[in-house]
Amino acid sequence: MNQGKYYPFAVVIAIFGLLFVVGRGFQGMWEPIALIMFYVAVGEAFNIFMGFTGYVNFGYVVFMGLGAYGMGLVLSSAMLKGLGIWILIPGFAFAGLMAGLLAIGVGAIALRLRGAYFAIATIGVNEGVKYFIEGAKIWGGSEGIIVSKQMKMLFGHHLSSQITTFWADFMVFGIALLAAFLTLEFLHSRIGYGLIALREDEDAAQVMGVHTTKYKNISFIVSSILAALIGATAWCLKTTYVFPDDVFALSYTVDAIVIVMLGGAGTLLGPIVGGLIYGILKYWLGVLLPGFQLLILAPLIIVIIIVFPEGIVGVIKKRAKGKRLEKFVV
Amino acid sequence: MFSGDLINGIILGAVYGLMTMGLSLIFGVLKVVNVGHGAFIMVGAFVAYWMFTLFGLSPLISAILALAVGIVLGFIFYYLVMKRLLDAPELSTLLATFAIGIFLSEVAKAIWGPDFRGYSWNVGKIDLGITTLPMAKIYALISSIVIAIALYLWFKKTRAGTALRGVVEDKEGARVCGINVEGYYALSFAIGIGLTVMSGVFITLFIPVGINPYMGEIYTIKAFVIAVLGGLASPWGAFFGGFVFGLVENGSYAILGLIPGVEPFSLTQCLAFVILLLLLLLKPEGLLGKK
Repeated sequence: MNQGKYYPFAVVIAIFGLLFVVGRGFQGMWEPIALIMFYVAVGEAFNIFMGFTGYVNFGYVVFMGLGAYGMGLVLSSAMLKGLGIWILIPGFAFAGLMAGLLAIGVGAIALRLRGAYFAIATIGVNEGVKYFIEGAKIWGGSEGIIVSKQMKMLFGHHLSSQITTFWADFMVFGIALLAAFLTLEFLHSRIGYGLIALREDEDAAQVMGVHTTKYKNISFIVSSILAALIGATAWCLKTTYVFPDDVFALSYTVDAIVIVMLGGAGTLLGPIVGGLIYGILKYWLGVLLPGFQLLILAPLIIVIIIVFPEGIVGVIKKRAKGKRLEKFVV
Repeated sequence: MFSGDLINGIILGAVYGLMTMGLSLIFGVLKVVNVGHGAFIMVGAFVAYWMFTLFGLSPLISAILALAVGIVLGFIFYYLVMKRLLDAPELSTLLATFAIGIFLSEVAKAIWGPDFRGYSWNVGKIDLGITTLPMAKIYALISSIVIAIALYLWFKKTRAGTALRGVVEDKEGARVCGINVEGYYALSFAIGIGLTVMSGVFITLFIPVGINPYMGEIYTIKAFVIAVLGGLASPWGAFFGGFVFGLVENGSYAILGLIPGVEPFSLTQCLAFVILLLLLLLKPEGLLGKK
């Protein structure tokens, strides 16, 4: 069964490599490629929870936002000034820690309940955290955190501008790869089998002795921490500021849902295909019809759900059954 | 001062109750959680805004119009979307209603732009001794209670209401008795949306400059809290949950305002979420619900 487990991973690396080469090789291509990679990473991270469990986390963006705050707080803390570039390690660690703790809290309460109650709980988490930050005036309140000065002091002029134009995006590649690797590990592990069983029929899975609550929590926490890492690099490091209205914008949750549903929930390649199409689509829509992207994307979600709920990779996977292609499409 | 807050809380609570009845009705009958609930409230708010600024129409008349708009929207979305997803996994209906909400907000943004708007309906004030209240809020209170009672009577006394209760009790049994189950699904979805859009009209009487395409989000959360307070599937539970929540919200606003250095408005919004998590943790079957 495990023979050829990593074949699909070769496809992932090939796609990422191709994107990287296109982005670096052609003038002006790095920004669009970075945007696409951001969507791929968001999709892969979101998929680990929604794709495997069939539960939807409407508050997904809160974990990205907390990640951005985590990195921002570490960068602007006076204690860690001497670390230089190594400050990124505690930065990412703190980003992941904050998101992980929130995920443990929300998961412990809401994941004991079924899908609808969980969705209800998550739709509030984003607003709750945002209003808490603004209301209690912590972390700069509604003014947010600006780290451009700190970054220049820590890394120097040259390196900090290199971080915003290249390294921040490069780290998104790394996180997307990590998310894809974890997805593959999930697919071939006890957790993955258990989660897929519970996605199909939670009562039956429970009766068969699957630790449903424990597995749901694990995938929820993993997905949230990955989201935080994306927020830490793609938002805090790249834009050098963290504003609560930007990092808790609900539209990012919409992005994640469309990417996963379009590509195929619960598959490894789905979010990559979804992210590619979505990134290009959104880029063009932004050029052609600025400000109207969501107006078009919302009906698109409905159409996908009604017409082909398995997504593109789901359909291909069905077609590829029994052919040589099967080994590569997961 | 505090008793004034309490009276305001009761009045706001009645409107909150009305706002949530539609959500509970739809969940009770179709077992669908309408994640786009707040967007329909926003539609109602804009109906009131337009009718008032364009034609000078009183919100009490706009409310009837909003009910009609909501029922039409409800039928449209039921037959276009919800009907096809009745047998689909829960995830599908959650995502679909979420997308409907986003869609409505974006349409509103395309029509009215993203700015905050408002209007003021001045029909005098009333002095209650402990506090003065604008008559507009009194009308909102009376209308909400009248509508809730009308819905209750429709549910309990009419043939259609009885059939609907049959559908909720036992779908297959109702079908065997010759009840058009799908028809009642469509009807309850439409009425649920109609009530929600109508409640949006009354909400505008409490937010002088708060009408905006994205205003619905916070009401979605509040409606969820209230619905869970009332046991999620019961419109009557929701109505009483509304009173509880209105009182808690106004009371806590007064208390949080006493803490120096914080922004009491934002913290009150955050409170809705904290209550929601606590409720889900301690009593997910609702305050009045039984195990």
